[in-house]
Amino acid sequence: MKHCLIAVLIFTLFTANPLLAEEARDFFKVGVITSLSGDLATGGNVTKRGYDLWANTLNAQGGIQIKDKKYTVKLFYADAQSEPSQGASAAERLATQEKVDFVLGPYSSGVTLAVAPVLEKYKIPMITGSAESPLIWKQKFFYTFGTVPPVNYTGATPIQTLAKMNPAPKTAVILGSNDAFSKATAEAFKDAAEKLGIKVLKFNIVPSGQDLTPFMSAVKVLQPDLVAFGGHDEELINLVKSLRQINYTPKALLMHYGVTEPAFIESLGKDAEQVFGASVWTTSVHAKSDMLWPDAAAYGKAAEEAFKVPADYTQAGSSTAGLAFQAALQKIEAVPPLSEANREALIKALEELEIQTFYGKLKFAKEGEYYHANVGITPLTIQIQNGKVVIVGPEKDAEAAAQYPLKPWGQR
Amino acid sequence: MRHRNILWFASVLSILLILPLITDDAFFLRIITEAFMWIGLAMAWDVLAGYTGYLNFGHGVFFGIGAYTTAILMMRSEWSFPFALPAAGVVAGIVALFAGLPTLRLKGAYFAIATWALSRAVQQVALVLEITGGPDGMRLPPFLNPKFFYMLMLGIVTATFLLFWFLMERASFGLKVRAIREDESGAMALGLNPTKIKIQAFILSAVPTGILGGMYAYWITFIDPASVLGDLVTDQAVVMAVFGGLGTLFGPIIGAILIFLFKTYFWAYLADYQVLYLIILGLLIALSVVFMPNGLWGTLTGYIGARQALRKGLAVNPQAENETEKGDKTHE
Amino acid sequence: MLLLLPQAIVDGFLIGGIYVTIAIGFSLAYGVMHIIDFAVGEWIMLGAFLGFYLNIWTQWDPFFLLPFVFIVFAVIGFVFQPVIHRVLSGKKGNPLLMGLVFTFGLGLMFRGLGLTVFGFYSHSIPSALSANSFFLESGNFFVTIPVIRFAGLVYALSITIMLHYLLKKSDFGLAVRALSQNRDAAGLMGVNAKRTSSYVYGIYVGISAMSGVLIGCIFSISAQMGGDYTVFSFFVVVLAGMGYLSGVPWAAFLLGFVQSFFLIYFNPSYTLLAVFAILYVVLLVSPKGMFAKGV
Repeated sequence: MKHCLIAVLIFTLFTANPLLAEEARDFFKVGVITSLSGDLATGGNVTKRGYDLWANTLNAQGGIQIKDKKYTVKLFYADAQSEPSQGASAAERLATQEKVDFVLGPYSSGVTLAVAPVLEKYKIPMITGSAESPLIWKQKFFYTFGTVPPVNYTGATPIQTLAKMNPAPKTAVILGSNDAFSKATAEAFKDAAEKLGIKVLKFNIVPSGQDLTPFMSAVKVLQPDLVAFGGHDEELINLVKSLRQINYTPKALLMHYGVTEPAFIESLGKDAEQVFGASVWTTSVHAKSDMLWPDAAAYGKAAEEAFKVPADYTQAGSSTAGLAFQAALQKIEAVPPLSEANREALIKALEELEIQTFYGKLKFAKEGEYYHANVGITPLTIQIQNGKVVIVGPEKDAEAAAQYPLKPWGQR
Repeated sequence: MRHRNILWFASVLSILLILPLITDDAFFLRIITEAFMWIGLAMAWDVLAGYTGYLNFGHGVFFGIGAYTTAILMMRSEWSFPFALPAAGVVAGIVALFAGLPTLRLKGAYFAIATWALSRAVQQVALVLEITGGPDGMRLPPFLNPKFFYMLMLGIVTATFLLFWFLMERASFGLKVRAIREDESGAMALGLNPTKIKIQAFILSAVPTGILGGMYAYWITFIDPASVLGDLVTDQAVVMAVFGGLGTLFGPIIGAILIFLFKTYFWAYLADYQVLYLIILGLLIALSVVFMPNGLWGTLTGYIGARQALRKGLAVNPQAENETEKGDKTHE
Repeated sequence: MLLLLPQAIVDGFLIGGIYVTIAIGFSLAYGVMHIIDFAVGEWIMLGAFLGFYLNIWTQWDPFFLLPFVFIVFAVIGFVFQPVIHRVLSGKKGNPLLMGLVFTFGLGLMFRGLGLTVFGFYSHSIPSALSANSFFLESGNFFVTIPVIRFAGLVYALSITIMLHYLLKKSDFGLAVRALSQNRDAAGLMGVNAKRTSSYVYGIYVGISAMSGVLIGCIFSISAQMGGDYTVFSFFVVVLAGMGYLSGVPWAAFLLGFVQSFFLIYFNPSYTLLAVFAILYVVLLVSPKGMFAKGV
């Protein structure tokens, strides 16, 4: 009797072994590498929300329709801890232990640069929903894609919008925090400003987390029309508070990522009003789609219901990374588990992909400095108006006129 | 006793050598490789802190310098890895020599904070320089052969271990550094040159750390100031050494293995509770300091020593409070 | 550029004021207990969040909440001190290192707790004072002084003066000074070392927590903010001479000046490099701080 029991136990153990179950799978294994802890946990958790929402919504509808069967997706998380080395370990684990079919990628460029070579080795496709640094695309990783266009693609738009104001800003001070993304943002702002004939009076890279009040005092003397800053959430909040405290209101204040974060409006209240930002998506962009969410507003509503926080473009971009895989899989009609040939075909399908999503048009560049980044969507200029993120440029996408110049802090 | 130690060492080493032959599991090998790295870092930190009593809170600076040396030589000067790796150790050693001369004159908390300030300054330098790539960091050509890195890391860490074992436990150098830890002016009165010995220990701690940094750069393929010059390397090495037991060869090894395994297990299988990880690790460190001030290894050997002493009749009156302490004395 | 000189000096003082508040308690605790507290930034963070939630709940201006935050954290520190004492007075091991590692663990734990309870996002504590600024002008020269920062400076100086009087004029102060000079002799003279240390630790934790609220008004707060303030706190205390309380404001102002001058007159990228290089060089030249009066 006892022997029988052991035999049964061993048998079940063996049949439950995932390696043996490899052949009969009716779901896709999706690896998710992102920073759930460490310095970049804020952003990492935003991407997690995006990936989760995609998987849950898709599974609620039964999964990905391939031929006449539906396949669900199962997410396997691996925390990169905001460290490149842990990101590489995470990739190796997902590739060898969990044997994932494809990967939804990291939050920051540093982690992405360490993860991508490992996935190249295992020939596993990855789409990152948020890494915006231009560095990644210059490396030309064959298996790595991104849904958010790099900042050197998006950064020029708000400057172009501002250049059409009346009277247009003539002078600018541009600064960026000393990390890869923020520095690239500041450089993109600078290039665009110089091209449009806005004189850059001062361009500086400043240490992260530094109190910039003295710097801003010096800027106040120069009286530039535009102050543009590349930084992360906390730094943006501190900069606005700084300007408020020294009571200096430039004609326009431009920032990048982080303006759309709920924390920005919540912490600054009235002082967040009329700050410009760059974005590729808001809940009010014009986008029609037949995949999961009919338009941006529907996505925004679903996100709000699921997480009780407004969705920003990082979260939307992350959900879109899932949509890209979904569409490409349907196109090549591959069923899980994906073989190496399938994955190769998947890359080709992704390169040819051109779909309409709630996020806008999705199309990955096949060559050039944006190699495998999404260049389908139009970068937007946004502004905070009445506590909401509003699109103010370019003209054909604008839902409201830009409020310019900035209302002095004292009169709010 | 000595015989048994050598036997132990040989069998552990041979198991580790055979391991990559019987498994192809790249993730498993990567984890072990990283464990080796932390063992090396914790040992190297302890060789200064545990043996001479100088707490280097900027230990990570040598790791970062090593990583950047290898990366810069490979990417900017097109050196090949076999030459760029030893260079990492050499540069770290030279930096240790020049930084050590003034810094090692400081004592206690002042030394700790000076080394920490130095490491922060070096991180800022890497952020503003052109040659390091600034905040963008540097990418190295990927050479993703798990067995190569496993073997090399094992080799470096074993060599470090043997060197430390010889110098600290067998050669007179070990006695000299201990003399400095206990009483620096007394050591001087005996005709020792404390400055020279301290700098030797500092370099001894820096060189393997630099080489490990160089390894890391080539292994991970991407470095930036935040990842190789941040506080993580120092913090983790210190915690591992203290948890295992300072001033011993085995303490840091055991500390590194246990903490690294705990961390990795949590990370791989309990990812949903990632935030709890910080709380548990913090609590673990705090509790171990309160209840095991000698570290795990120190407490363990103390306990065993006490038992043996009692059995041999070298100690009497095993009051629970004094047991470990007496054992320690007899053991020494 | 000379035009900006008054502004650079004033900004230096104003930034310095913030550093005084985060370092003065730390220096006091080091003087008496010889502990380098790695968790100082986390006490600041916890205090900041208490202020943040109290502000939402009561809608009072954060400056009125300061005494309450102080009392809560002083009690926590007082109750907690015996554990630290146990770590520092162990016969074995290196007490300095044990203190460092213990508080490091504590800091990790607090940060983890902070992230779990308060989440990842940044917040700001609104104060009526943060809306205004003084503008002074005389000929070509002019200076802007944000009211909230000025209030922070006044607060920092009042804390310093209060501590100064407490130490110089009260029996408690006598005991504290005796302890920091010679622990054993103080014990022989009837100073209750344990009790006095507990009070000191309580005061230190309370002051640090209050500074958190101030930081929330001037800058912003988040569960991960601790590390940065630990850095600056170390800097000031070391530069002042560890445990030398009267040096703290000067060291803090120096740190403020370094930052404001680098940001205004030199390359801002080098600001933090200058900060750490100065700290390193000062330590080498005069380990006991700028006034050579540390313990």
